[in-house]
Amino acid sequence: MKEEARNFETDLAVIGSGIAGFAASIFALNRKINCAQVGNTGAVAYTTGYLDLLGSSEELQTPIDNPWEGLEQLKKAQPNHPLSRIPAADIRKSFEQFTAFLGECGIAYTAPQDANITALTPAGTLKKTLCVPATMAEGAKAFADKIPCVIIDFKGLKGFSARQVVANLKAKWPELTAARISFPDMDKGEIYPEVMARALEVPATRTRLAELLKEAAGEVKVIGVPALLGMHNPDLVRTDLERLTNLQIFEIPTMPPSVPGIRLREMFEQVFPQKGLTLIPQQKVTSLTFNVDGAFLKLSDNYGPITIHSKAVILATGRFLSGGLDANITGITENLLNLPVTQPLSRTDWYHDEYTDHRGHAIHKAGIEIDSSFRPLCNGGKDGKAYNERLFAAGIILAHQDWIRGRSGAGIAIATAYKAVEAAEKFLNFHKVKSNVE
Amino acid sequence: MSNKKIPTINFKEKAIELLPEGASFEACLTCGLCSSGCPASGIENMDPRKFIRMAMLGMDEELSTTPWVWCCTQCKRCQHVCPMSIDISQLVFLARGNWPQEKKPSGIVRSCELIRSTDSTSAMGLPPEDFIFVVQDVLEEVRETQPVFKNLQAPMDKKGAFFFVNQNSREPMSEPDEMVPLWKIFDMVGADWTYSSKGWAAENFCMFSGDEEAWYEVIKKRVDAVNELGCKVWLNTECGHSYYTMWNALNRFGIEADFKLESLITYYATWIREGKLPVNSKWNTKGIKFTVQDPCMIVRKAYGESIAEDMRFVVKSLVGEENFIDMQPNRSANYCCGGGGGFLQAGMTDHRRTYGKRKFDQIAATGAAYVLTPCHNCHSQMEDIGHFYGGNYGVVHFWTLICLSLGILGENERTYLGPDLLALID
Amino acid sequence: MMPTIIDKPAETGEPTLRTDVLIIGGGVTGAGIMRDLALRGIHSLLIDKRDLCAGASGGNHGLLHSGARYVSNDLHSAIECRLENEILKRLAPQCIEETGGLFIAVEGDDPGFAEKFPEFCSAAGIHCEEISPAEARRLEPHLSEKLFKAYSVPDATVDPFRLALENVAHARLLTNSIYRPHTEIISFEITDGRICAAICRDNRTKCIIRIEAKQYINAGGAWAMNIAGKAGCTDVNLLYSKGTLLISHDRMTSRVINRLRPPADGDILVPGGTVSVLGTTSVQTDNLETVRPTVEEIDRNVLEGAAMIPALATARYIRAFSRVRPLLQSSESEDGREATRGFSLLDHTSQGLSNFCTITGGKLTTFRLMAEKTSDLVARRLGNSESCTTDRVPLPNGDACRWTEPGAAPRYWYKANNSEDMILCECEMVPQSAIDEIVKCAPGAEEEMTLEAIALRSRAGKGPCQGSFCGIRIASYLYDRGYYHDKTGLIHMRDFFNERFKGMRTVIWGQQAAQMELAEALHCGLLGLDSLDDE
Repeated sequence: MKEEARNFETDLAVIGSGIAGFAASIFALNRKINCAQVGNTGAVAYTTGYLDLLGSSEELQTPIDNPWEGLEQLKKAQPNHPLSRIPAADIRKSFEQFTAFLGECGIAYTAPQDANITALTPAGTLKKTLCVPATMAEGAKAFADKIPCVIIDFKGLKGFSARQVVANLKAKWPELTAARISFPDMDKGEIYPEVMARALEVPATRTRLAELLKEAAGEVKVIGVPALLGMHNPDLVRTDLERLTNLQIFEIPTMPPSVPGIRLREMFEQVFPQKGLTLIPQQKVTSLTFNVDGAFLKLSDNYGPITIHSKAVILATGRFLSGGLDANITGITENLLNLPVTQPLSRTDWYHDEYTDHRGHAIHKAGIEIDSSFRPLCNGGKDGKAYNERLFAAGIILAHQDWIRGRSGAGIAIATAYKAVEAAEKFLNFHKVKSNVE
Repeated sequence: MSNKKIPTINFKEKAIELLPEGASFEACLTCGLCSSGCPASGIENMDPRKFIRMAMLGMDEELSTTPWVWCCTQCKRCQHVCPMSIDISQLVFLARGNWPQEKKPSGIVRSCELIRSTDSTSAMGLPPEDFIFVVQDVLEEVRETQPVFKNLQAPMDKKGAFFFVNQNSREPMSEPDEMVPLWKIFDMVGADWTYSSKGWAAENFCMFSGDEEAWYEVIKKRVDAVNELGCKVWLNTECGHSYYTMWNALNRFGIEADFKLESLITYYATWIREGKLPVNSKWNTKGIKFTVQDPCMIVRKAYGESIAEDMRFVVKSLVGEENFIDMQPNRSANYCCGGGGGFLQAGMTDHRRTYGKRKFDQIAATGAAYVLTPCHNCHSQMEDIGHFYGGNYGVVHFWTLICLSLGILGENERTYLGPDLLALID
Repeated sequence: MMPTIIDKPAETGEPTLRTDVLIIGGGVTGAGIMRDLALRGIHSLLIDKRDLCAGASGGNHGLLHSGARYVSNDLHSAIECRLENEILKRLAPQCIEETGGLFIAVEGDDPGFAEKFPEFCSAAGIHCEEISPAEARRLEPHLSEKLFKAYSVPDATVDPFRLALENVAHARLLTNSIYRPHTEIISFEITDGRICAAICRDNRTKCIIRIEAKQYINAGGAWAMNIAGKAGCTDVNLLYSKGTLLISHDRMTSRVINRLRPPADGDILVPGGTVSVLGTTSVQTDNLETVRPTVEEIDRNVLEGAAMIPALATARYIRAFSRVRPLLQSSESEDGREATRGFSLLDHTSQGLSNFCTITGGKLTTFRLMAEKTSDLVARRLGNSESCTTDRVPLPNGDACRWTEPGAAPRYWYKANNSEDMILCECEMVPQSAIDEIVKCAPGAEEEMTLEAIALRSRAGKGPCQGSFCGIRIASYLYDRGYYHDKTGLIHMRDFFNERFKGMRTVIWGQQAAQMELAEALHCGLLGLDSLDDE
């Protein structure tokens, strides 16, 4: 059986299917750049739905209320941090565009404000984040105003306990109570939020659930549930349930496997091809080469080899979880091009002794270096030479940031993707002009 | 009842053998995305994540004997959603094949036996001469009763024809008039096609029973039949797994095929684009809503997004873009309906319907009156769960709707149309 | 006699517990003593400042020595091991897997030593059979091609946690003896050459507890010297030797594999359920409390182990741990390997005490014998003339003690086929019902067990995710049940993840790095367990 080789031509190839990769595609589409995105999707499904810009200060080891101020502090304390190298106005714009796009595609988000939102977690702890899905926004408000509220969990749903949320928030939110119900037709055995979310896309299920929610709410007017308010149409599902119950309803993120991440993945995978972007979401790029004619990405699928010929490339392959970086017994390497990785001297220094050490672990700050146009450097930052004028990088693969402790994953992904696309566009225009002139 | 025990497989070892490095069981993060996205989760108290863990914990006897392997249709959605791309279905296939014949679901076994019993390779045991007879018989009737089609062809064993067209056994056995719409389409586009009296059937229960040898034998017979007639393209009828079992087998068993494998969907799309099939949606004056099912065997497991796009192009052309509502999720992320993998023949009706609930919800959420599907098993399953769960949608094949759109759907070819569609035909 | 708690505070204001015998140290020896005494009708209270097997008992290979490892340099220990090995296999089979063992020499090892091996074994009465290298590699395909000598010996593996749990459970059954975790000895009240009370602190509540017993036994393992010191005894002299081992994700061999050379680093690979344990190292240390594996020790184990089994060089490891061995001081050697692995029972009469004794040294395999000697002394001092029966009474299966056995939980769960009994630890497939049983009646179960204590009594958290997901699910479940009802549940989660991390830190690479990234994103990024104190 012969293999079928396929070739694609594009202006900008984005490698990576996480938030940075998807953000880059959004910004490319907004700028009408011809774009293809490839990469092994999957890890984006772990996203909780919250878009963190900067939630915690490493220096002060406290949560941050105003991320814009926090960025100012960050610039002074960590000038090499990717966010320190981007003007706040651009960061803001990137978030505005990103959330606007999500909203247009049916997953409404709050727009970035001047302060972080104090949002809820399934453990009953609090978290500072910049933008939240509209389906979760009411939760933050209810907490802020200390409105009487019932957290409702579901029999058979592991890892989400309303009692846990209440037990840990009660001191700050006295009128918070817990209740448990069974999801219609799912009262036996274990259940997953994904299945409930999809069932709620059916109007009849919403009607039935509404009755149960009303009963559980009793006299209270606001309820919180685990994130399961629909998959494709969360805003419609929520407003319909609110209409049926006459209650305000918000959702709280859950541990994986969770719905908000799946929502994003499914949305991106449907919308991007509709908007003319070439999307190959299931395959890893196996080789990336550059020559005078451009960049060549090689990958393959069920049918055989695929080659993408592109003028510019954005590398947004992530870290260990998504396979952009490898942590080997002898050191950390970058997988696709073997780019130099800035990292601690030895493996002994990767992690502190204590897991929850406030300082965070040095392994997370390892990554690739970039110049001011977001091009990866080819000598570990020593002589400032870019690997290739066509290659740009974005996302948490970059060095000098700890997205986990800083609560800045989405921020780094979105803002650096914005700048990388901006830089790529400049490059593409320059070459267009050049080739027009020649 | 046989006393024969099911032998025990070492699943951990087999996973290392069968799955690529980095995408095998030891790469599993136990995150649960697979179980969350699998319609067979919860059946027999099992799910894909548990399957992996049980293999890693050495619970080989349990895995070798769990009936769950007959409920997993091997749709590969687990692999699709897994960040490590771990494909559990391959081990399920292995487990199936490991069951002694007497213990396998008898419906699947019987179907495979019937396939091997004649040169037709038909799971209903329809021998070549009967197939020839039925085709001829129906053809004559059409020529007589539908004057527009008095010269309609349904070639049999035509050497050197461009298209070798296969045929699901269900039509010639129980609803032979359902073969006709496709003949009319071929006629309309002037396709050079033929049936074959040998190796004509589409279905392949030997693969479903996990029997590699039998699977190979069936495919070989079919490949030989195509080669014998010297056709350039083996054109797969509206059947999901027939494409997959053929395509996968060529690689798996290293069979030489001098012809291309194509799906009818691809050609529908091409013919519509080329204007050879002048379908349009003007007939849909009532704005009846349609959705489409992505058969796993054709989309996720085989062609991928490109055929999903072609299919949607065809649907929109047929019913009008505004009357098409995509189910969610869709394309390669769509759910298996539960009709494949032999589930319809396995005699595990309760489990099959439990499995199908997600598909039912998907269809219900669209509010569509009809689901279009290019797959027989999807067709049967979606019909069944529709009745079972009290839905009010119909299920139709593409050929039916194409002929309806062209105004050439014969009276006996309207079995699957509801009164709303029937009313639109004058 | 039953212990009683006096509600009315004594003059000193703290609650008082009374028992016949106070045993300090919850390792297998302490647990074994508890049971031995109970079989003689004696009531005891066992305390540990942490939990069962927190010392060397919980940080070893899990090897039930045939004794062959000691034949060349410690004949006495070798014979003891042989005898005890046979007894335990007979009487505590639920804690043991009879895997058998191999001693193999590879290129570079001393052939002379290899030749003499059968002689040494024979002197100790240990069954040793030579097998050809080809046969050895047929039995164990992972063995190096460079192996030139192989002998088969009756090694086995033992689950020390289960051993301790079953001993404690049996003692409870017999005389209602009680085990109290997180109870630390602070001081002794001594009058006229007798200890009249032990003053202890509950390390969780910080409350002081007074324990009055007739006899006091120091089974503190590596801490024995410190504890004896609190009673004014200076006759306990220990060397501390730190050992580091690591656990591979896969079980590499069916049998125990020993290096056929004088004991050195990375000599032994022991199978345990679905994993293998590789070790060990031996470094003299003064530090008892914060022993952690170092990258250097890990790499050394891997290097040495790979000489026997090359696949160890590229295997995925999920955990590493260090514990301190107490070695009786008797030699000058640098690494303590030459110090005797025999044990010592001190009656402290030379120190002017008549109701205190210390049992220390020794090894896991000979715990029963150590307990026997100690119990003989203490029973005599109590005027109890019953003799030891632990060499003939089988160890019964206690309530809630079975969950530490690899595969026990999933097999039970599968067979029970109850979809309402949901699995909380997906890696090791530990269901709700196991957790329920543990918190209800496992040895050491109490009103609010930490996640770590629950995990200790089961396989939860011992799989590839090392608790990062199940810690969340189990905590939620316990909140659901009202078992956790405030912020301490979150603290238990954080402590559990911190504890698990200690074992992972030095082996985080490859797949584990991906797992850790996700775990940390979840625990810190989302749940904020790194900033619980800030709230």
